[in-house]
Amino acid sequence: MLEARAFEPEFLNRLDRLILGVKRARTSRIGPRTVGRVQGIGIEIENFRDYVAGDDLRFLDWNAVGRLDQLYVRTYRAEREIELSVLIDTSASMGAPPADDKLGLALALAAAIAYVGMSESDAVRLVAFGLRRGKLALTPTAFHRRRESYAGLRPFVTGVRCGGETRLAAAVEQLLAARRQPGLTVLISDFLVNATDYEDALSRLLAARHEVKVMHVMGERESRGALAPGLYRLRDSESGQLRDFSASAATAEACRRRVAQLAARLRDFCSQHGVMYLPAFGAGNLEEIINGEFPRLGVIR
Amino acid sequence: MGLLDPINLLYLLSLAVLVAIYLRARARPTLEVSSLLLFEEAPAPLARARRLHTDLLFWLEVVALGALSLAIAGLYMRVPQPPAHLRRHALIFDRAAAMGAREGASTRLDLARRQALRIVSAAPAGDQFSVIAYALETELVRASSGDRGAVRAAIASLQPRAVAARPAALSAALMRARAADDIELFSDRLPAGVLPAGLGGRLHFHQVGSTDNNLALVSLDPGEVGSRRGHLVVHNFSAQPRLCALSIECEGRAVARPTLMLAPHGQAVESFGPITWGGLVHARIETPDALAADNQRWAYLPGGRASNVLLISPDPAVRDDLARVLLAVDESARITALDPARLSSLRPGPPPDLVVMHDFYDPRIRAPARLLVFSAPAGALRLARTVALSELEQTERAGTLARPLALGPARVLALPDSMEVLARGSAPGGDEPVALAAAGRDARGRLGVIAFDLRGHLLLDPDRTEVLLLTIEIARRLLAPEALEMVSTGDYLSLPARGPIRVRLPDGTTIERLAGRSGTARIRALEAGLYETEAGGRAGVVLANYYDAAESDLTVKPMAVRAAGAGRPGPAVGLLPGRVRPLGTALTAVGLLALLLSSVLMLWREARRGGWRHV
Repeated sequence: MLEARAFEPEFLNRLDRLILGVKRARTSRIGPRTVGRVQGIGIEIENFRDYVAGDDLRFLDWNAVGRLDQLYVRTYRAEREIELSVLIDTSASMGAPPADDKLGLALALAAAIAYVGMSESDAVRLVAFGLRRGKLALTPTAFHRRRESYAGLRPFVTGVRCGGETRLAAAVEQLLAARRQPGLTVLISDFLVNATDYEDALSRLLAARHEVKVMHVMGERESRGALAPGLYRLRDSESGQLRDFSASAATAEACRRRVAQLAARLRDFCSQHGVMYLPAFGAGNLEEIINGEFPRLGVIR
Repeated sequence: MGLLDPINLLYLLSLAVLVAIYLRARARPTLEVSSLLLFEEAPAPLARARRLHTDLLFWLEVVALGALSLAIAGLYMRVPQPPAHLRRHALIFDRAAAMGAREGASTRLDLARRQALRIVSAAPAGDQFSVIAYALETELVRASSGDRGAVRAAIASLQPRAVAARPAALSAALMRARAADDIELFSDRLPAGVLPAGLGGRLHFHQVGSTDNNLALVSLDPGEVGSRRGHLVVHNFSAQPRLCALSIECEGRAVARPTLMLAPHGQAVESFGPITWGGLVHARIETPDALAADNQRWAYLPGGRASNVLLISPDPAVRDDLARVLLAVDESARITALDPARLSSLRPGPPPDLVVMHDFYDPRIRAPARLLVFSAPAGALRLARTVALSELEQTERAGTLARPLALGPARVLALPDSMEVLARGSAPGGDEPVALAAAGRDARGRLGVIAFDLRGHLLLDPDRTEVLLLTIEIARRLLAPEALEMVSTGDYLSLPARGPIRVRLPDGTTIERLAGRSGTARIRALEAGLYETEAGGRAGVVLANYYDAAESDLTVKPMAVRAAGAGRPGPAVGLLPGRVRPLGTALTAVGLLALLLSSVLMLWREARRGGWRHV
């Protein structure tokens, strides 16, 4: 399956050059601020500049004062501390149709983001959510900060199975109940739910001051409505609801329109609320998604 | 077209199974999709009714199953043989005794001939005819031919036989005619269950005859010279009372001329004699009736001189048993029984007619007929070995016995070819069958051989009556007049000869036969009456009597078979003329090709469907 590729050396080599960009982050002492090349508390010297009144005398470079008799202040690169949570939808819809391997694509993307996040020593965790025996189950990994521990994600990534209904809002609610500090949250799902559900979920995350990024995963076949002409009985993988369906070229076109319609609505919502939206359609397009779409997500070279 | 094994059409039920499968699965496969949200834009199907969607795959599978089922059922097509317009006719004639019954000025066979000739004349030029006759056996009188003259000659040559018609012979005749387009059967009766299935409209039965006026002599017992009256049994097969004038003669001299009134279907026994002189007794019905073959019988009445038999055995019990048997065969015989040790006391005189030697042989004892019982080698007979036990397995009269009959000691003799083996068996120490009884001739006259011992009252053992019957048969042959033989029509006559033998048949024709290796020539008595034989200057007489109750009953019962002259329906299925071309290979090829195409179609569809999961 596709998730296994997330641990292949060639795949990881391509991710080595990427870093995860965040708009907001919280430093441990200074509080929320824009992450960048700014003065902050750290041990890595960023630069020297002339002293101006009001500067913290702790950053004065006394060696320069002794040698040059001029006042210079050392500036440090701020040490950011971001909690990156990658929420992965493991509902039954992620497993249908099996050949599309949507869950594999979602897990591979989640692992890739986690790997990139670890390059900056951010605290990264993967969280799988889905309905198990009628109850919402949120299955998180421990926080990983260093790439040396990336391999520890492997049992989780390869062990996830899909099933149950999609409950995005409930999953976010349960995630936020842990009352951790806000961070970066990436939500990976096919979003084949009522729009109010994912709108509610994203709104809750934003309200909790999380930076939210959305990865919309769809299968290649289902997004094309590729069914041989004929009469079928369709069963919803989550609700079990049945519907008679006569497949034809016209219905395939209708399916494509419907997929575009659902994606557009999600994208519009995201753009209106400052949420980064990334379409990931087709498991065969993993490379293109990483190379072409990750920059839009803020993952920069 | 036809089916070699129609029962296998049951395999076509698989089509019903296929339809059921398609109704259940192919008509509306259930697919699991991630969400029905994706299909909300698609219109719902118009027809929600459950119905069979017959797509290409379905029809391919129908073709495959249908073709394979028909191949198993043996579908064939018949290719007509050119030229198609010519028809082959088989004319089958019953020539048993009843076909000789008179119907006015002609016989039933004459009527059949006329009908057949009309068919031959009315047939288009080019049609071919074969002529087949049957009675005891089937005979192809004329093979299929378009030569009308030859066919008419063959029909004209048919003569009735004084034998009954065997159903097996009729079946064989129909089998011979199976390739014909039309089978014309001429007879006065049709045995039930003879017609094979499938003849259908090809068989046209021409029933001939109407009269039932027939009187028949059932049996003739000449009695004994000067002591016992003879009896003659007469049967009236007519539904009317009949007057029956009888004539009984012995050696041309009238014995009695009674006249009887026989009730319908009645039978009477007429006594006569006793006749005081011996010879050939001839009884006949003087009253004219339809069938002449059963109007006369012959019997032989031994003459005034009693047969002299010399019986020699060391065992008094065997002498006693053999004497009883000989007296049963010829009660007028005078038997002299002797112990071999007292042979010197035998007074010289004329040689006996028959000498029986048990466990003893003396070549000096001469007689025209000899019976050797458990005897030492005699003349040309060479003793191979003596065995302590033997088993009787086969007799000429009864055929192979259901269970071998255990006998006592036996002497295995090398018999000459001129002797007819009447019984065979086995003996320890050899794989070849052993001749246990035989009759025939050697250079010194008639000779009978019983190879096993008769001690221990073997002849009187009720569990081994076959031994008694065998002994009676040999004794009868040896005691009968040498130049006279009585048989029933249908029997084979074994005529001893060295070289050619001429036989004058009852109808006056003379035939010539050559004797085989066994020194006998065999002919079959198919006519009642006198057969005069002549071989090597020695003459003989065979008298053949005919009587068969079923055949003599001339009552014609209309048969539920198509009447002659009815329409000529098309050829019957299964026996159509022409070449049969089975279509099994072609059908199998079609079926396999359809299966292959359906597999390709399924793979293609699966590729197009691409990973949707059927539920």
